[in-house]
Amino acid sequence: MTGLMGRIRGWRLMPAVVVAVGLLAACGEDSTPTSTSPTPGAIPTLDSATQVTITFLSYNYGTPGLGGQGTQALIDAFEKAHPNITIKPQGVPVKDVLTKLRTDTAAGTPPDVAQIGWSKMAEAVEALPVVPVQQIPPEAEWKEHTAGMSPRILSAVADDGLVKSMPYTMSIPILYYNADLFRAAGLDPAKPPATIEEVREYALAIKAKGSEGVYYAIADTSKSDFLTQSVVNSNGGSLVGGDGEVTVDSSAAVQALTTMQDLTTSGAQPAVNSDSAVAAFNSGKLGMLVTSTALMAGAQKAADGKFELRTAGFPAFGDKPAKPTYSGAGLAVLARDDAHKRAAWEFIKFVTSEEGFEIITSRIGYLPLRDSVATKLADTPIMKLLEPSISQLDTVTPYTSFNGTKANQAVVTLQDEAVEPIVLRGADPGPTLASAADKIRRLTA
Amino acid sequence: MFTGVLSLLEWDLTSPDRSFVGLDNYRRLAEEPEFPHALTRTGLYVLAMLPFATVVPMALAVMLWKRPGRASDTYRSLLFLPVVLAPVATALAWRFILDPLGGVVNLTLGGLGLPEQDWLGDPDTALWAISLITAGKFVALNMLLYGAALASLDGRALDAARVDGATEWEITRHLVVPQLTGTTVLMSFLCVVFAGQWTFTNIAVLTQGGPDNSTDNAYLRLYTYAFVFFDAGTGAAAAVAIVVLLTVLFAVSAPLRRRHARP
Repeated sequence: MTGLMGRIRGWRLMPAVVVAVGLLAACGEDSTPTSTSPTPGAIPTLDSATQVTITFLSYNYGTPGLGGQGTQALIDAFEKAHPNITIKPQGVPVKDVLTKLRTDTAAGTPPDVAQIGWSKMAEAVEALPVVPVQQIPPEAEWKEHTAGMSPRILSAVADDGLVKSMPYTMSIPILYYNADLFRAAGLDPAKPPATIEEVREYALAIKAKGSEGVYYAIADTSKSDFLTQSVVNSNGGSLVGGDGEVTVDSSAAVQALTTMQDLTTSGAQPAVNSDSAVAAFNSGKLGMLVTSTALMAGAQKAADGKFELRTAGFPAFGDKPAKPTYSGAGLAVLARDDAHKRAAWEFIKFVTSEEGFEIITSRIGYLPLRDSVATKLADTPIMKLLEPSISQLDTVTPYTSFNGTKANQAVVTLQDEAVEPIVLRGADPGPTLASAADKIRRLTA
Repeated sequence: MFTGVLSLLEWDLTSPDRSFVGLDNYRRLAEEPEFPHALTRTGLYVLAMLPFATVVPMALAVMLWKRPGRASDTYRSLLFLPVVLAPVATALAWRFILDPLGGVVNLTLGGLGLPEQDWLGDPDTALWAISLITAGKFVALNMLLYGAALASLDGRALDAARVDGATEWEITRHLVVPQLTGTTVLMSFLCVVFAGQWTFTNIAVLTQGGPDNSTDNAYLRLYTYAFVFFDAGTGAAAAVAIVVLLTVLFAVSAPLRRRHARP
């Protein structure tokens, strides 16, 4: 019976997944990369006798969790399919990706392929010798490979119709919750909180029973602002206005962070950093965790045999629609000669193929960027846990970057000098955000 | 020389364009609050670690020196562990030990009915926590150096004092410690030089300079300018400023070091 119900739910979920992946892409520009996109330096296929070793910089590689294992699985599968190409992976902490890329480039040894988070991509493309990925293969080969991916996804990351870095790992924030702690607090796990007001109420009930209530991973130790954007956007604001102006001190942003601060001051949220909170959730001491779906596979493994893990959509602010922001990373090519560029493209083509995305979704927990993979995995436990996010994708908003080559410094300023002091240490939201906004405006002017 | 030239340029590490900006980078360092704040915090690190670079290793070295044998060698080896362990691995271990929601320290405090604390997340405690974590390395290395100094002491004078009826405490206080003054001056100077550098790894792994820049120091600030914000000119200016400050300190303290270096 359970299996039958599971299959029914799976089939019901399947079209939603297919549609939703398209909707995620719909957040991008309407124009798609055209078939006339320039491919002036298109490089033909490598001779099978040519042995090439390429370096791959990745913030997932080498990590002890499932991200590291999933990345290793991708590399192993690729090398098995392409015996003439060897991948030499290099691990790097996510917050140090740009530092490593800049210093390696300055030293004349940039990696051939690099996994770069979307929050750092604009600065990377501007400052580093990134070879537009779309220009590496012949046009027909590019079209054939990307045919299974929604053109709108590619449009969302394209610059003037040209895809410079390949969409690789994508995620959106989701509410994870411990159903056992819900029951212990007298809450119904079948009715998770849908608004931030309910989150606070539920968290205090859990806290009253001796566990920690909720944690919004907004003070992210990796110095990304994607959850900050999600919270501010959901309250009707933004960090960057339509014409690029800095709006981190708008009334909607101040109100959103005041609400986050209230979670801490009320005791609903512990005043700790995101690493501690994730560890607490995985060990069953925290009732709810709002963070990226990228942590899904890790949370699933941690909960196995320990507590019942469930998920719900990103909580809304009152009756306003929840507007989570997507995050994740793309793959950029920095190879310098044709053989390495071609080998880099073969690697990118593989990891963004059906086989690649199947590994990425099932082993790590990122969203599948091919409809066929979403359909194939629809009945798996991980896709069921992703269902609340997928049903929310029609309100997902694209990640917005600050302008200029100091965009990353602006994000660090926002997170370190405003978000963390406000949310964790009770700084006055209005003046603190105003001060950070002034500094960010100077950096991005 | 290259760093000095770089400090007069505006450069992002990768761009072929480097523009000459004169002393602008130095003016920024002086005018903006971050670098002076980082220098102040570096001074606090030095003060916090000075006892662990001098008094504590001296006391341990004297105790082990007075009771030679296998047990003493074992203790010495154990105390030396912080020097040989990988710095990043040690820092990560401390992250788990001090975790506010499940670390050993807070679990113990909670078990004793004492208030728990976010040691690395509270601006009032983070610097002292980093200092204590780093202090183990000073204790370990300086204990060895004090041991070398003790080995060179003239044992006949100590034996003569014992024959005259002096207690071990009196011998230590009036004969041993005074003869270690030169070593102590050297250890103090090395603490000034290395306190900022040795805290770097722990700060980078555990707090990244936070919360509220409370654990920042001059070396982390230099790294942040050059390799996080990619402002190589300001990073180089910070490096030059640190070298100048240490040189001045070295020159000012030279008479003191010379006086205690005399036999």
